[in-house]
Amino acid sequence: MSSRILPDFNLLLPQSVAEAVELLSTHRDRITVMAGGTDVMVAMKFAQSAAKLPEFVMSLENVPGLGYVLFDPEKGLRIGAKATVAELLAPPEVKQHYRALWHAAQTFATAQVRNTATVLGNLLRASPAGDCSCAVYALGGVVVLHGPHGSRDVDIDDFWLSYGVTARQPDELAVELTLPPPAAGSRSAFKRMTRMSEDLAKLNVAVRLEMSGNTCVDARLAMGCVAPTPLRLTKTETLLRGHELTPEVLQRVAASVPWEISPIDDKRSTAEYRKQVSGVLLKRAIQEACGVA
Amino acid sequence: MSEETIVGTNAPRVDVRDKATGQAQYAADIQLPGMLYGKVVRCWEHAHARVKRLDLSAAAASPGVVRVIGPKDVTAKRYNSSVLDLMVSESMHDMLGDIDDQPIFTEHVKFQGDAICGIIARSEEAAERAAAKIVVEYEPLPVYLTAEASRAPGAVQFTPEKPGNLAFQLPEAMFPNHALGGGDVEGAMRDADIVVEDAFYVPKQKQCQMEPHAYVAKVDSGGRLTCWTSSQMPKLVQRKLAKLFDLPMNLMKIVPTVIGGGFGTRLGMISEPQACAMALAVPGHPVKLQTLREEDWVISPSRHPGKYWMRIGFKRDGSPVACDARFENYKGGYYLDASGTAFTAGAWLGGMYRFPALRYRGESYFTNQGLTGAYRGYGNPQTNFVLEQLIDRGCAELGADPVEWRKKWHKGVGDDGWCPGVTYPSCALDECLDRGAAAIGWTEKRRKYAKQEGTIRRGVGVAVMNHTSGAMPMLLEHTACTVKLNEDATAEVLFACSDMGQGSHTALKQIAAETLGFPFEHVQLSSGTSDVAGFDIGAHASRTIYVGGAAVKKACEEAKRQLFERASLQLGVPADELDIRDKRIFVKADPARGIQAEAITRAGVYHFVDPMTGEPGGVPGQIQGYVSFFAPHNSPPFGASFAEVEVDTETGEVRVIELVNAHDIGRAINPAAVEGQLEGGIQQGLGFVLSEEMDYDAKGRVQNNSFTDYKMFGPEDMPKITTILVEDADPVGPFGAKSVGESGLVSPIGAVANAIFHAIGIQFTEAPITPEKVLKGILEKGVRNYAAIRRS
Ligand SMILES: Cc1cc2nc3c(=O)[nH]c(=O)nc-3n(C[C@H](O)[C@H](O)[C@H](O)COP(=O)(O)OP(=O)(O)OC[C@H]3O[C@@H](n4cnc5c(N)ncnc54)[C@H](O)[C@@H]3O)c2cc1C
Repeated sequence: MSSRILPDFNLLLPQSVAEAVELLSTHRDRITVMAGGTDVMVAMKFAQSAAKLPEFVMSLENVPGLGYVLFDPEKGLRIGAKATVAELLAPPEVKQHYRALWHAAQTFATAQVRNTATVLGNLLRASPAGDCSCAVYALGGVVVLHGPHGSRDVDIDDFWLSYGVTARQPDELAVELTLPPPAAGSRSAFKRMTRMSEDLAKLNVAVRLEMSGNTCVDARLAMGCVAPTPLRLTKTETLLRGHELTPEVLQRVAASVPWEISPIDDKRSTAEYRKQVSGVLLKRAIQEACGVA
Repeated sequence: MSEETIVGTNAPRVDVRDKATGQAQYAADIQLPGMLYGKVVRCWEHAHARVKRLDLSAAAASPGVVRVIGPKDVTAKRYNSSVLDLMVSESMHDMLGDIDDQPIFTEHVKFQGDAICGIIARSEEAAERAAAKIVVEYEPLPVYLTAEASRAPGAVQFTPEKPGNLAFQLPEAMFPNHALGGGDVEGAMRDADIVVEDAFYVPKQKQCQMEPHAYVAKVDSGGRLTCWTSSQMPKLVQRKLAKLFDLPMNLMKIVPTVIGGGFGTRLGMISEPQACAMALAVPGHPVKLQTLREEDWVISPSRHPGKYWMRIGFKRDGSPVACDARFENYKGGYYLDASGTAFTAGAWLGGMYRFPALRYRGESYFTNQGLTGAYRGYGNPQTNFVLEQLIDRGCAELGADPVEWRKKWHKGVGDDGWCPGVTYPSCALDECLDRGAAAIGWTEKRRKYAKQEGTIRRGVGVAVMNHTSGAMPMLLEHTACTVKLNEDATAEVLFACSDMGQGSHTALKQIAAETLGFPFEHVQLSSGTSDVAGFDIGAHASRTIYVGGAAVKKACEEAKRQLFERASLQLGVPADELDIRDKRIFVKADPARGIQAEAITRAGVYHFVDPMTGEPGGVPGQIQGYVSFFAPHNSPPFGASFAEVEVDTETGEVRVIELVNAHDIGRAINPAAVEGQLEGGIQQGLGFVLSEEMDYDAKGRVQNNSFTDYKMFGPEDMPKITTILVEDADPVGPFGAKSVGESGLVSPIGAVANAIFHAIGIQFTEAPITPEKVLKGILEKGVRNYAAIRRS
């Protein structure tokens, strides 16, 4: 049961990244970072017990200069910690070179939520259902963290540790996500299944393929809602690498997925169903990435 | 067609400006001086338990708390939050076995969310904080979620009045063998060439009205208790509350507030008893009681879920010989209107087709699910899901076209409607079917989709329905209406039946203006508080236009009669030779001769005697039309729906591409409002058949009491919609109108299910038909072309 009363908390409003990091060091486990707040506020309203409530909420509202989405053909795509999902949709290069992420952002929630929710917040929530998370996992990338001892980059492959837990230390602030520059022959796609269009995914999938003609040189496949964190389908990827994308190969790829995932029954679907359709959804994402209807 | 100038137009909705600009005053918006805030403490952890110990002391000592009241502090009387029991005669009431089994605060928790005690505090925050300090110890009891579980021998009895936890079954005295219908079903089935039969499950659907329930209650210095509520039935709620709190009705006042959607959830009471009990504990102080969405979800009644078994027999030539059915619904923990849906589901079954033999049995069993009561359609959606699928299964086996079969066998003019002896005065279902079929491209698509290849399959389906216009002859159909003419020849219509957002007050105003011959803008319509407005049973059973509209029309005719009587004196022409248009009364045969209505109304109110001559200036007296109206008949509407769907055979996902709702409206008083009702109905019908259901865990705790996990069709999910209004004036209804309030959601249910059947050759017996169920069906049974089914 929620409440009509938001629990008491102390609001912190740092004016810079440095100040934010300092506050994190001071309060460590008693502080929650808030970007768009679309996860944070909901969690606070539905908190089962006072122990689950943060003592301090640090809003990034007044921290300047983190709202960028910058594309550079050499360096790739840089997304600042305050860039919203709606802002990600603005630059044409996102749609052109990072199709999977663009599509994830486009189908994400509703216009109101897209205007508030940040892309980084989605990654930092570390939910297995995160749509942007799924797309970023397939595209590959690096999360830039600022801590009291400076900055460090964490590869997205090492970022999610368990349900709701990331490699970020309590005194670190995520400031940016960087996606690699587009490679020739690289293409990507994102797909999700929901109960209704405005919904969290019951299953989502993203693929990034490096193609040479009809042959797949490299593949990164990511799936959500099938494990405690977003999942990379590394075994299935090997069935694609070096292969021509024939119907037989796609069939084999699709058949391999259920063996690699461990979904559960929940309010949005069943483990059984997720297994049944996981291969289909992946196959369709690959076909979409390659422009096959 | 007719000479009306206001009826039949899309007059602007009377409520939308206030609603769209945020000026509408809902109960939650009310602020009164000295107001206190109530909070009902509910049992969230158990769906079935006894309260072993209740300690209110810590909460009472909590800052800002004024009073804490438990079961001992309120009347020991029980109530029935539904109002159906007030709409039948006393003998019928006894025969049906309606009971009062709800306490204000309980010591036997019968569903999750049952009320334990109440807190009255100076702020909402203080009340909520105090609520957390209530100490309750429970003794958990076994949780029964189905009829099978709760009727098992040895099960805890919900109330001694209903042995075996059988809340209701059709009474023997009225329905021999507890069955509705007649004829020799068993014999007919033996003679049938084809018998189709299946057991279905129909879901627990929630109304999801926009406004969560909220109330204000206050006792004034004269001992009068006032309750502000958005109930659909203010007058019956007045009587219920007066009875519960032992007050004469003049000391129990209801102030109806703007209603933010009802769909049945406000049919009767929800937390009015708790709100009033709190007000009685702090006389002089208004107490506001608001519910959270998640709370509203569990404490207000939903649609009745349950098992619905049916078999239908046909002759080889297609003629139906018999229908045999049994609907066993899962009530929640209390009785409410257990008799209602169990009966109507069968009544609508009986009203649809010309079955020579029919046997329907309807039973309600207590369970520990959330309460069940009225939801738009009231038993009809459940029947539609079952009946219409079985008819299509029969058609497939017979090789009959589902549209043609329905045209041939549906009931029509002169046949008994849903109650024997009350015959259909009109029926335009054939035209609904013809125009709907043309709109969706039935013939061509039926043929084309009967044979398909590939992953994505399409199908088209049809379903029909009959509903009701008011509940005559089963329930009381009484509406009083007063029309008062102001001195400037404008009119005030006073009418207790509420507008839930469906547009009824707009249409009623059109009826009043048309009848009076006044412009639409010169008529005001108010619901009025209980001490001002006359009697009315409330807005339910799709009655407001058909019955309420007839009452408004009669009251206006009476006012007009008086107006004409006075005009006749002035014009020297008999009253029946007069007519009125735009407030000018004129002689029909000589329209140039006339008089302004205002001259009469003004003279009636400002009536002076000429001081020079002693001559009176016109006829004295303010004109008022009044009627205490009882519906003489019932003219149910019919409807046909057509759906086109696309089924993804690899994922089981169903996309509805188009939905056509053709409705036998008789006469559309406000066509846009009728279309709106049909469109909104489609949204709820699609939810019933494809996505909506309240889920419970094994302990009876609801899992999806919020919009996060209870999924309705959103704007992007809606198909293309076509509404067709078939206007074939009914001989009884006002201006020929029949009802539309509930109908719109009924037949889309069967149409979608039948379209899925057409697309993949599989019928699904459990609603909602989710992708999970479709894929399971496909994996178990295989996709089949419809054409192949017809041959087998
Ligand atoms: C109605 C609704 C619909 C939704 N629909 C979707 C959907 O379709 N798909 C989907 O994936 N999600 C959805 N969500 C979830 C949510 O919107 C996303 O996860 C969103 O991206 C979170 O971003 P935010 O900026 O609001 O994060 P916040 O709520 O501010 O934060 C999320 C988490 O990240 C942490 N965090 C945020 N920024 C930083 C930072 N810079 N450094 C360190 N930690 C940080 C926070 O502490 C918190 O743990 C929905 C939520 C709602 C309320």
